[in-house]
Amino acid sequence: MRTLRLIRAGFVANLKMLGTSSFFLLTSTVQPVIFATIAFYMFRTGGRSGTLLYAALGAGMMGIWSTTLFASGGMIQWQRWQGTLELGVAAPAPLPLVYFPFSLANTVTGAYALAATLVWGRILFGVPLHLVHPWLFFLALPATLLSLGLFGLLLGSSFILYRHANALANLLEYPVWIASGLIFSLSVLPGWSRPISWILPPTWGARALRDAAIGGAVWGPLGMTLLLGLASIGASAISLGWFERRARRDATLSLT
Amino acid sequence: MTRWLRVFLVGGVISYRGLFNWIRPSIYIPTMLGSPLFQIIFFAKLGQYAKAQDTGFYVVGNAVQVCAMASVYGMTMAIANERWFGTLGPLLASPGNRAAVFLGRGLPVLANGLVVSAFGFAVGAVVLGFHPGWAAVPSLAAVVVATACSCTAFGMLLGSIGLRAKDFWFAANLSYFLMLLLCGVNIPIDQLPGWLSAISRCLPLTHGIMAARQVAAGASLVDVGGLVWTELSVGACYGVGAYLLFRLLERESRRAAVLDSY
Amino acid sequence: MRGVSFAVERGELFGLLGPNGAGKTTTIKMLITLLLPTSGQARVLGHDVVSDAREVRKRIGYVFGGDRGLYERLSALDNLRYFAELYGVSGRDQRRRIDEVLELVGLKGRERERVEGYSRGMRQRLHIARGILHDPEVVFLDEPTIGVDPVGARELRALMANLIATGKTVLLTTHYMFEADELCDRIAVIAHGRIVGHGTPAELKAGVADGRVTEIEVFGIDDPVLDRLRAVEGVTAVVVEDRDQKQLLVVQSTGDRELTHELLGRLDGVSVGRVASREPTLEDAYVALVTE
Repeated sequence: MRTLRLIRAGFVANLKMLGTSSFFLLTSTVQPVIFATIAFYMFRTGGRSGTLLYAALGAGMMGIWSTTLFASGGMIQWQRWQGTLELGVAAPAPLPLVYFPFSLANTVTGAYALAATLVWGRILFGVPLHLVHPWLFFLALPATLLSLGLFGLLLGSSFILYRHANALANLLEYPVWIASGLIFSLSVLPGWSRPISWILPPTWGARALRDAAIGGAVWGPLGMTLLLGLASIGASAISLGWFERRARRDATLSLT
Repeated sequence: MTRWLRVFLVGGVISYRGLFNWIRPSIYIPTMLGSPLFQIIFFAKLGQYAKAQDTGFYVVGNAVQVCAMASVYGMTMAIANERWFGTLGPLLASPGNRAAVFLGRGLPVLANGLVVSAFGFAVGAVVLGFHPGWAAVPSLAAVVVATACSCTAFGMLLGSIGLRAKDFWFAANLSYFLMLLLCGVNIPIDQLPGWLSAISRCLPLTHGIMAARQVAAGASLVDVGGLVWTELSVGACYGVGAYLLFRLLERESRRAAVLDSY
Repeated sequence: MRGVSFAVERGELFGLLGPNGAGKTTTIKMLITLLLPTSGQARVLGHDVVSDAREVRKRIGYVFGGDRGLYERLSALDNLRYFAELYGVSGRDQRRRIDEVLELVGLKGRERERVEGYSRGMRQRLHIARGILHDPEVVFLDEPTIGVDPVGARELRALMANLIATGKTVLLTTHYMFEADELCDRIAVIAHGRIVGHGTPAELKAGVADGRVTEIEVFGIDDPVLDRLRAVEGVTAVVVEDRDQKQLLVVQSTGDRELTHELLGRLDGVSVGRVASREPTLEDAYVALVTE
């Protein structure tokens, strides 16, 4: 119960802070909408009209990944700049629990991207917003966001261990869009890349959402998404543990 | 004359190094080379799946666009960062010819853009199997140089705006996305609604990409001369605009003493 | 740190006094589990700060002050709401407790404003509010009145005394002598990573009580001369303070003897201005301890 309260507290706090950031606004609405538009034109040209919803969902997921990557990737570093990292470490709660809510808030605001691409698609390109399995869709969505929120925590706790994490973050945007098959089928990628796709939570989350919207088996991808989310918890705990020990030993918690 | 050249070259390179803090390999490689690599692959694969255009369309479009990214960002940073590092004051107080200083900033950015573009084409050849043919390479290079020039000028304008505006990154990032959509990088501009394609023609990169595609398909440099000139003219307009804006801001800030408050 | 050892009793207001760079903040950070000591042991409320960090964190609060350390884009109220949860204030008590601390630090009425608009003094007060929000048994305060205006600082000191009255134990670091004198039950003087003196304020004063201080204004002085002064029998310390064009030599000595003549004798060839002789203060004791 305490745990849930703490998660809610951090979630709400970060949500309020994100509302004031123009960078966030850009990544979560303008960028996905532009990519969605490019995709809509391309799909229309190629005659795959039936997959405009596919494109809208894909672009939305791309936006969710971008927010997760950039906001959560830099999260621990940001706390350090704010001077609040020490407060987090000195709290009685375990560090992963302290920062998971922030990561979750980052990912959830990425859902604006999904809403934006769907609305944009509907209004400007006549994308049909008919969902084949609506209940499953609204189950798959929070599950995907939860899983990505956990994955975001892993990103944040790993990036803080490297000095040039920002460059790394830039490098992971397109590749994950490609490897997760967010906006095109994995069939256009070479076979050897398949295992990479399988360990990425966005792959399964996107698949679950697509299957729920357009038709397909939802439960498999849904299960994989949650499983990978759980794995992320374990990996984050390890990563954050390393970080905390090293930072306390080397006195780097309060450095900018 | 030689003094002008020195300010141009030496001042440009040194300031570039200092401000454009991506030059370390650990940062340069992921940002300048890694990102374009995957951008090209992304759109080529998307195009393949959507069955919209052939691979070459996307390779050429994106390989030229990535030099735009390098130029626009590089230039914006080179100029706007002067403010953050507080070097704007000393710069404006220096006696160096403004134009020389300004252009000197642009040269390294231009060179960088070329490197990135060449890399993009290499990616297209090695990873995606698109070979425009060796005969096309010199003409392609010329087109890319012209495009890089006009994009650098555009970057100068954004950078100059950045000197004044509070959040210039927003404008720079926004322009990146808009150019991706509007300049014919992934969508032929005649597919866009009329008013949008009109905007496209006023942006840098658009004509350069059109020329590059024709050259890759076998046209000679003479054939695309018109397009290249248009591209350079568009760039020149932005360059002039940037210069004027810079002088205006400089004069205004000296009057209003607001330089350091940025 | 070069080896620090001390003990704080429950209910005490203990002061760590020392100049900048002495190691006060480092010491506190080790006690609040933010730094791992390279050797030795420390226990807070019976729990080891390394092996039992979690238990320590539950029972302590700390205030570091400064401009950072708060979520700028949130209001003070939102900050406190979050930290209340983070530090385990029970759900039912949160609203009441937040109200209490806001009242206590004098921020009532301004809690809905964003922290980014707060002045230094207001931030300091908010830091303190956050530090005591969860009613910890032990409170660590690192230079809490630094950068705060005199009136505000006075209020903060009253607050600190109040904390003791409510049964808490407080460890305070400061480089203001008078603050330590006024508030602390016991003081440890830290300099260069080591404890150079400790005891109650009265004991520290007693250390220099039966001595004298001679102040000599000079215009230009160098080390050989200072060494000659130090060699005078009875002299325990010679401190040089720069005052624009001149220097003030503060010579501490034991015993009741007036050393003025002897000192002036050694200052042959040096331009001398005013000379005064007086009783030592706690400040002198402190200065002597930290400049050794």
